[in-house]
Amino acid sequence: MDFVSGLADGFSVVLSLQCVLSIIVGVVIGQIVGALPGVGGSAGMALLLPVTFGMPPIPALMLIAGIMYGSQYGNSLSAVLLNVPGDSSSVMTALEGNMLARKGQAGKALSIAAVSSFIAGVAATLALAIATPILSKFALKFSAPEYFLLAALGITATASLGGGSAGKAFLAAAFGSLIALIGVDPISGETRLTLGISNLLDGIEFLPVAIGIFGVAEILVSLESQMKPVVMPAKLRDLWPRWKDFVDVRWSIFRGWMVGFLIGVMPGTGPTVATFLTYAVERRFARQPEMLGKGSTEALSSVEASNNSAATGALIPMLTLGIPGSASTAVLLAAFILLGIRPGPLLMVQQYDLVWGLIASMFVGNVILLVLNLPLAPLFASLLKIPYTYLASGILIMSMVGAFATTMNMFTVGIMLFFGGVGYILIKAGIPRAPIILALVLTPIMETSLRQALTMSRGSLSIFVSRPLAAALLLVVLATLILPLANMWLLRRRHAATAA
Amino acid sequence: MSMILRGLKVALIGVAAGGFLNVARAEAQQRAPEGPIEITVGTSAGGTPDLIMRQLGQALNSTGLVPNPIVVMNRTGGGWTVSNNYVLSQAGNERLLYAIAQPMITTPIVQGADNAYEKLTPIAMLVSGDLILYTHADAKEGTLKEVVERAKKEDRSVSVGGAQAGSTDHLVTARLEKAAGIKLNYVPFDGGGTALAAFLGGNVDMIVLPPSESVDLLKSGQLKPLAILNKVRRKEEAFASIPTAVEQGYDVLWGQYWGIAGPPGLDPEVAAWWSDKLAQVVETDAWKALVAQNYWTTEFVGQSGAGAAYEKVYQEHLEALREVGLAKK
Repeated sequence: MDFVSGLADGFSVVLSLQCVLSIIVGVVIGQIVGALPGVGGSAGMALLLPVTFGMPPIPALMLIAGIMYGSQYGNSLSAVLLNVPGDSSSVMTALEGNMLARKGQAGKALSIAAVSSFIAGVAATLALAIATPILSKFALKFSAPEYFLLAALGITATASLGGGSAGKAFLAAAFGSLIALIGVDPISGETRLTLGISNLLDGIEFLPVAIGIFGVAEILVSLESQMKPVVMPAKLRDLWPRWKDFVDVRWSIFRGWMVGFLIGVMPGTGPTVATFLTYAVERRFARQPEMLGKGSTEALSSVEASNNSAATGALIPMLTLGIPGSASTAVLLAAFILLGIRPGPLLMVQQYDLVWGLIASMFVGNVILLVLNLPLAPLFASLLKIPYTYLASGILIMSMVGAFATTMNMFTVGIMLFFGGVGYILIKAGIPRAPIILALVLTPIMETSLRQALTMSRGSLSIFVSRPLAAALLLVVLATLILPLANMWLLRRRHAATAA
Repeated sequence: MSMILRGLKVALIGVAAGGFLNVARAEAQQRAPEGPIEITVGTSAGGTPDLIMRQLGQALNSTGLVPNPIVVMNRTGGGWTVSNNYVLSQAGNERLLYAIAQPMITTPIVQGADNAYEKLTPIAMLVSGDLILYTHADAKEGTLKEVVERAKKEDRSVSVGGAQAGSTDHLVTARLEKAAGIKLNYVPFDGGGTALAAFLGGNVDMIVLPPSESVDLLKSGQLKPLAILNKVRRKEEAFASIPTAVEQGYDVLWGQYWGIAGPPGLDPEVAAWWSDKLAQVVETDAWKALVAQNYWTTEFVGQSGAGAAYEKVYQEHLEALREVGLAKK
């Protein structure tokens, strides 16, 4: 067993004062930058790159990697408590977690998020240690046609996200797609829908829209009525989840881990897409699917497991091929190069100590993060004891800072406030908001990968059936489209039969 | 450019080797900026220009040439549009430097916007990088000529994976099409990393990579080199056997260039100081080690020639982008 001896060597590298300190510093910073809205793990890593210049390579990389997975723990904090996602991969966490918080279960939500993150983080690291060579080959099988179908699956499988009328959900998704088309055409380089505004050239950032449409819109709605304060359990002890709460979500964590890892390994997607697909899976397999969107611990644990697992999975193409699969791994790649090491097929051989030390450090880091998060969850949850009138102004400020931090440009704050207004109108009109976010993330992937696929095949649609993986995905997409229709048709017939 | 370059090198060596008088006179025209220095970069952390600037900052500080703390700021967006606008708004700011890279110059061409490069205060061109055209290790074709023969049989039957429309790999593809009289199928993958993944997964036939990003893949037998797009071969063992495109009868010459400029209206004495420090840093062992490790080539052009060097890069790209129909100028 190669990986056992590798891990043993890895742990012997980790167990030095310098390495352990680096891991602690990394994960604590990660936790903090993750919790700050707008400052995702990648921005935090980039800011701290210069700090590592004087350090030896191994602890330096442990520190930077610690920020990467540490931020995945931190970003659930503001998502659950304030409904302001810390970064784009915690939008779904906000959706479910904040609902729980409003029921006075913030402590439970945070603990479940931390435990799910921990289990998935450790399991993903183990998978990284065992299956890296196989998975890097699998990841390469995925290209434009498969990405297109995967994104299409994300849309068809979650089309009626948030429940309610399918027509309204479709309207919202179409609006999201429209926003996603703003900017520079990904294939020809032409500008579209920018109205001559140079700030729109890069398109509309996803996170400010999410913050506006969820966080700010809720505040606007709350202005209309006296908000009932959140009922909090009187004792700190009651803020803790019970053992049964964890047992209930064990399969959700497993599903989140698996989907997250597979999506994370592919270098064209990332944790955000992983959380959406995980959510779609949860709609199908959760024991209480009717709870989704109303504060489901199953969905919460699943998406939290998913984004952690995806962040770890993205290390596979980075370590084996030098291909970064996400913004965070791109910065980690930069850290490698700045330390004079270039990841590639020979890295595992040439830098044996470093690679296994890094993997071992991730086990240690995840344990530290769990120890850090579990006792603190009830404390953070107590924040909600502040009356909403005061809390709202705090949320608004956090939202604006978050929007600004994504691009360092005041224009983005304007975008965020604009979508706050849009979100308010949507709430009033009873149009679900989640499909907008979903379409905004998936449309660019669908568009570019469809056009890439057709360029590769020189215009022939056969590329979607001639490749085995693509053909299989196509069948799944068709099934998600046909099954609900077939169900409806059967129901009608049965109605007609009973009526006659 | 090489003529200008050689001339400048001679001039620089002259200055360096000159007596006390020369040095004293050069210093009289220089003034050091005070406080921390920002180097603005238009790519996100991890992009090649970002890596070069971070390493340059490290080298300037670690060799003690520049005592001011140097921070690299990634002002990303719109293919260097955001960073261009930022630097243009900072006229005369002595604590600011700007990374020169091809997209900084090409984006205004593609978008039909005002050029930024001609408003900046020229300081230096620093390094250039080679580009190598690769196919799959198990491809039937062994040489560039054989690939061209296959492409001649059917238009667009040979595909090239690249980053974006108008990016370096797109322009290289267009150059090869023109030089060989063929039509290739250029597929933009919205990023260099995804392009490489698509290539390694066998989805496209060819890819253009710099030596540093391909050396391990080449050593582990996943790539078959077709041509290096410089006038001369590289000397390192790993690359020495790769013939140039010109050797094989195809006139395709293309490379990557990076440099440093100041914001508009930067005090010429401060620009001269920077030019002098950069001229010194490229002679240090720290810098030479960096250049060797990344397979770059130092092509230093100081303050007096930098403006012309930017202009040359601009003209080359204007012509190439016009050929592929992307220029709005």
